[in-house]
Amino acid sequence: MKHWLKLALISVILPGFAAQGETLTDAEEIVRRANLAAYYGGADGRSEVRMIISDAQDRQQRRQFTVLRRDIEDGGDQQFLVVFSQPSDVRGTVFLVDKHIQQDDDRWLYLPGLDLVKRISAGDKRTSFVGAHYFYEDVSGRRPTDDTHELTDTTDQYYVLTHAPVDSSSAEFSEYVTWIDRQTFLPMKIEYTNSAGKLYRRVEVLKAEKIDGYPTVTASRVSDLLTGGRTDMQFRYIKYDIGLPNSVFTERSLRNPPRDWLERPAG
Amino acid sequence: MRAWCLLLLMPTMLFAQDNMWDDDDWAEEEERTYWTGFLEAGLGTRFEEDPLVAGRSTLEDLRWRAETEWQLDRYTVDLKLDAGYDGVENEWFADIRDLSLGFTLGENTDVSIGRQVQTWGTGDLLFLNDLFPKDFQSFFSGRDDEYLKAPGNAVRVSHFSPAVNVDFVWTPEFEPDIYLTGERFAFFSPLAGNNVAPRFTALEPQRSFDNGEFALRLFRTVESSEYALYAYRGFFKQPSGLTTSLQPTFAPMSAFGASLRRPAGPGLFNAEISYYDSRDDRDGSNPLVPNSQLRLLAGFEWEARTNFTIGLQYYVEWTLDHDELLANSFATEFEPDERRHLITNRLTWRAGMDKYTTSLFTFYSPSDNDFYLRPQFAYRHSDQWSLSIGGNVFGGEEQQTFFKQLQDASNLYLRLRFNY
Repeated sequence: MKHWLKLALISVILPGFAAQGETLTDAEEIVRRANLAAYYGGADGRSEVRMIISDAQDRQQRRQFTVLRRDIEDGGDQQFLVVFSQPSDVRGTVFLVDKHIQQDDDRWLYLPGLDLVKRISAGDKRTSFVGAHYFYEDVSGRRPTDDTHELTDTTDQYYVLTHAPVDSSSAEFSEYVTWIDRQTFLPMKIEYTNSAGKLYRRVEVLKAEKIDGYPTVTASRVSDLLTGGRTDMQFRYIKYDIGLPNSVFTERSLRNPPRDWLERPAG
Repeated sequence: MRAWCLLLLMPTMLFAQDNMWDDDDWAEEEERTYWTGFLEAGLGTRFEEDPLVAGRSTLEDLRWRAETEWQLDRYTVDLKLDAGYDGVENEWFADIRDLSLGFTLGENTDVSIGRQVQTWGTGDLLFLNDLFPKDFQSFFSGRDDEYLKAPGNAVRVSHFSPAVNVDFVWTPEFEPDIYLTGERFAFFSPLAGNNVAPRFTALEPQRSFDNGEFALRLFRTVESSEYALYAYRGFFKQPSGLTTSLQPTFAPMSAFGASLRRPAGPGLFNAEISYYDSRDDRDGSNPLVPNSQLRLLAGFEWEARTNFTIGLQYYVEWTLDHDELLANSFATEFEPDERRHLITNRLTWRAGMDKYTTSLFTFYSPSDNDFYLRPQFAYRHSDQWSLSIGGNVFGGEEQQTFFKQLQDASNLYLRLRFNY
């Protein structure tokens, strides 16, 4: 009784604190919040990204690009524009994605050498994104409804969940485990197990910061535990709620990337 | 030979500047005026000698590409320059692929003036409403796909609005395709009744406003479906006409068309139509001028398995007033069928995190009974080095058909590229 009163008082006086301190037990709700935290910060945003792709022999490749994102609806459809600046053979390549929840994404690729706007057919999204160990799906998010979710542990810091694909033919994993930060709801580590029961892939957050009020991953790594390769990804010059208009996410931006929005924000 | 040594030395010089990315690199990135590009060596050879063309070599390129971009206030200047040595034609070359000034007028209009490469339409290696110049010599000799599109000097104005987007391209001086002249590849001549390699130059239209090219595209995307309408006024891009003194020339032509591209089932569907109006031979009775045509295309592409994509296209070239054509022909046996059917198939398999790309593009005409195969294996070793090996294989039954005439041009090529 005393305990209940204390809790009620705290939640009246310090609602923010209470919300952070609450312990969730519903796996669906944790996944919903994690999806929002990881992919839907703000109404829109921009970030510069660079990747270092290393193979088992430590031979390295690099990718550098700027991403603009706009949410149509929180947790729902989104638009992405990805403009590559490095390496030189992909410089000027632009990737436009209309991400849909109810249907396949629409994807276009602009190849500057041919001045060609190529449309990409819907395909397996668990394949390499521009030669990295990251998959398309790691970049734009996997639909929560594609998996079943089970809360398997709650530690001081993390909710630990185990997920399995609803349609086992749709993914190369048989299950994966996520460690979701209880404060920020960012998934801090994800480990994938294949049908042989072997742990073969790990995605981990190396650094997270609060930017414009949103917990944000600024460094992450994906490791291929079978081959020993890995990709490190860093994010910089991140800005949220910049007011990106719908018109940025059209064919116009493929030929003529929108400079005003791609420019680095001051400070 | 000295140039080849330079090619091998360049990478070591550039690697020396390489270091790991650290925090300083981020700051640098934005301000640096960059120069990028590549050095490439390409070699290609015929399977067998072509008695009409000296030497077996079809590709002997040593090419340096330099690219940059300058920004002055709201204006952007793009430059892409190719220079090098072409061993097949025994000459040094310097080609400007892009030198254009771009700016925005008001809110919703983009303008680009100068030399530039332009592409539109929905076909894969088949062009109906895309009447911008193509370089078939590069395409058949195994140069990078990029070189299929030749640059042209043009003004492009693009206006964007929610109702409809408009592209207008004015090419003041007619830019023909880079056609087969007999220098690198022999071709079939209906006048000779056989393959010839005359090293000819076709008569181009005189320079005047009226002889420029005007191309228009109206386009809009509605709910994942892309719709477009096209119009063109200019000339046939190939020297398929003859002057009264029998010199090859480009006949006046206007085109009107439409296209659609949209998701369908597991893949993408595209359809395109174009009507070619041969303005100097509307009834088809003039044997010196090509007839009007209707061109139709339907295609479907899908990822059949992870990292394995299949693209199929069905294409028809329908020569109008075909009876008139035959009635007035010098040599009816060499005239095209009323309907030329073409089926294409592209298979692409990517492996090793996109390091290896193996592809096969097949053209097959059931009406002409001829074919063209383009196998290619591309290996991207690193951000700097890449290697491509491939072939252009032609064959068929009757010498006058499009692909059969090129049978002796069938070749294998290898290209090694260093990106900087």
